[in-house]
Amino acid sequence: MNLRKPLILTVVASALVGSLAISSISASAASDPGVSSSEIVLGMQLPQTGAASPGYNKVDDAARAYFDYVNSKGGVNGRSIKLVVKDDTYKAGLTISTASKLINEDKIFAFFGSIGTQTHVSIIKDINRRKIPDIFVNSGYSGFYTDPKKYPTTFGGLGTYTVEAKILGKYLKEKYADKKIGILYQSDDFGRNAVAGFTAAGLKFEAKKTSASFIAGTQGSIGLASQLSQLKANGVDIVIIAAVSSATAVAYATASAIAYKPTKWAVISVGADATTFQTILGSKGVPAATSAAMLAGTISASHAPAPGDATDEYVTAFKKINDDFNKGADKRWDNNVMQGMNIAYLATSALMGVGKDLTRAKLVAYLEDNGSKLSSAAFAPLGYSKSTHEAFTGFWLGEYDATTLLAPIDGKRVVYTTDSGSGAVTVSNYMRPAIAADALPKVA
Amino acid sequence: MSKVKTYKVIGLRSTLLSLILFLFFILLSKQFEPYNQSQLANIAMLLIAVLSITLLTGASGQISLGQGAIMAVGGYSSALLVTRLGLSMWLAFILAIFISALFGLFLGLAAARLSGPYLAGTTLVMALAIPSIAVRFETFFSGDVGLSVDYGMPPEWLTNLVGEISIEEWSLYVVLPFTAVALFAVLNLLNTRTGRTWRAVRDNEVAAALAGINIGRTKVIVFVCASGLAGLAGALYGFRGLVAPSVYPTDLSLTLLTAAVIGGLRSIGGAIFGTFVIVFLPDLIEKVTKNFAIPETVGIYLPALTIGLLLLLTVILNPRGAAGALEHIRHKKKH
Repeated sequence: MNLRKPLILTVVASALVGSLAISSISASAASDPGVSSSEIVLGMQLPQTGAASPGYNKVDDAARAYFDYVNSKGGVNGRSIKLVVKDDTYKAGLTISTASKLINEDKIFAFFGSIGTQTHVSIIKDINRRKIPDIFVNSGYSGFYTDPKKYPTTFGGLGTYTVEAKILGKYLKEKYADKKIGILYQSDDFGRNAVAGFTAAGLKFEAKKTSASFIAGTQGSIGLASQLSQLKANGVDIVIIAAVSSATAVAYATASAIAYKPTKWAVISVGADATTFQTILGSKGVPAATSAAMLAGTISASHAPAPGDATDEYVTAFKKINDDFNKGADKRWDNNVMQGMNIAYLATSALMGVGKDLTRAKLVAYLEDNGSKLSSAAFAPLGYSKSTHEAFTGFWLGEYDATTLLAPIDGKRVVYTTDSGSGAVTVSNYMRPAIAADALPKVA
Repeated sequence: MSKVKTYKVIGLRSTLLSLILFLFFILLSKQFEPYNQSQLANIAMLLIAVLSITLLTGASGQISLGQGAIMAVGGYSSALLVTRLGLSMWLAFILAIFISALFGLFLGLAAARLSGPYLAGTTLVMALAIPSIAVRFETFFSGDVGLSVDYGMPPEWLTNLVGEISIEEWSLYVVLPFTAVALFAVLNLLNTRTGRTWRAVRDNEVAAALAGINIGRTKVIVFVCASGLAGLAGALYGFRGLVAPSVYPTDLSLTLLTAAVIGGLRSIGGAIFGTFVIVFLPDLIEKVTKNFAIPETVGIYLPALTIGLLLLLTVILNPRGAAGALEHIRHKKKH
């Protein structure tokens, strides 16, 4: 083994590789990073590739489409919004590096709409100690939002899994009192948070019997056969799924393969996107009509209108913007596109609300003081305050019909509200404000 | 030259080369912005893991597809020592070396009986199994959520001494001394009798046994040393923010092996080069492709595709890696 001259030479060669990667040092701005007189730079991390990417990889394109629309109308206080996106493949080791890149190289003003509970755990502490706003995170994990002293700059972009599970759990417990209810969940904060919500609603699961879990991201490789066989063997009639959409699709396909036909499936909203479900099953050779029939009857919840609800004014407005501005590879209209548009609408509202003198501290303060007054496509209000950074505080329940439309149960949309703690589930009386004709937020 | 004098020369050279590497990283970091400083810190910690492959595969001929799993052992050991027992980060890093080495001892005892694809398969299973253990014993290891740990903020005495430094630069300062010491240890190991013994086992087990080398014991010792290094790398890697199964995925082991192969499995210089390539090449590709209208659906796969292609070309055209090619050029010039 030769260790003398080659070592020094390779060190020099390594230096060349490193030097090529050096980025030019940009002049430091007088204000916070990511804001200039003409631009606001936001950063998002999400799985654009890998097992967890199907469906979620459309959120960034949808959000960018809305920002491009806003920019085409003059931007926010004269500034255009730029969204920089990094693919973390849903692996926390990579999320740490991509976050560093967004902060230090892309000089973002704020993190916006990042997707993934487990991956966000790896960076949330660092983002907060740097005092960078971390707005509208696409995770319903309540642990990120219920203690603003711990994470002062992080704000949710979804209703928490606990709130959703409490509402869904209460309904299932009352409606199917005589049935055996079980759960399939991914064993991360997302899954556990949902289990906590269902338990708070009075549902009881027994480990290894009516409760089955799997490591997040492994659904494709393991196929979930042992988990579903366990639920089948224990006579579970109602199967709740608290996992990402790709896992839901795998679960349905596997259940079909092992001839397991539960009376009902109930799926947490982030795992129940119909387009993602059908796309994944389609890639396995399942015709669209068959996958639609498989999904039909599934119970789920939503804080926003169903994407297929053509009568909803927000759906109509966002859909048009999606058609005109979305440059993504897959711009088919679905829950993910709707969510991307909606949080972009909210971000635009917040940035407008802060005003011309935009700083990171002012954005955080604005959301704490005025965030709960911001409206969006959601049928439930935002919960932002100094004591909590939870987003949507309510959900309505629906059942997928034969056309993959989530239709309100019993034909009437009732929005229920609760908190991530021990509060009761009650009917919400929130009235969603109408969207403006130009689909731009109107903030005082 | 007497034996003592030989060891002194080897020791001096190892010290010098480790110091050069240390200073090189420091000087390079001064040219960089924080992001590339954090990438340099990544290189410094991953280099330790790649060096463990240089020892294991390069020097002793044992294939491991599970170095990432041993990194996880180091990561969890150090994180648990800090979060549960309140030990200092520095002490936890050092203890992680011993705990991982102990793990390597058990692994080595089994591995000594295996070779070739059987050993590769066993270590790959280990890479797949370790994350499951963390989830299975959730209460102890915190399951998928993992253990939140970091290097903390730069200490006041340091900022008083050198002025304000970024969190990224501080992470480099934490990692670099360990990298230098690891390099020093590997250089010494490979240039002394121990290294020659390992190489003898790698080249011809029968001949080595006839020369009086205990093959089984030698293989176990290599596993222990390589695991200690990988464990240290894993501890440093985890303290970037989180120790969790998704921080040490199966493809981490393959990435480390890729770095070692591209650089040259039998060369320390190659390990350094290979580590630079796997860390910086994706950034470089992103910078280059930014100037072209490449669809996002293609662009996001380009780094993995390029590194995969580079690995294939290395194996087919230049199995000794960059260091081997360099050696070949030098040899040609001489003659």
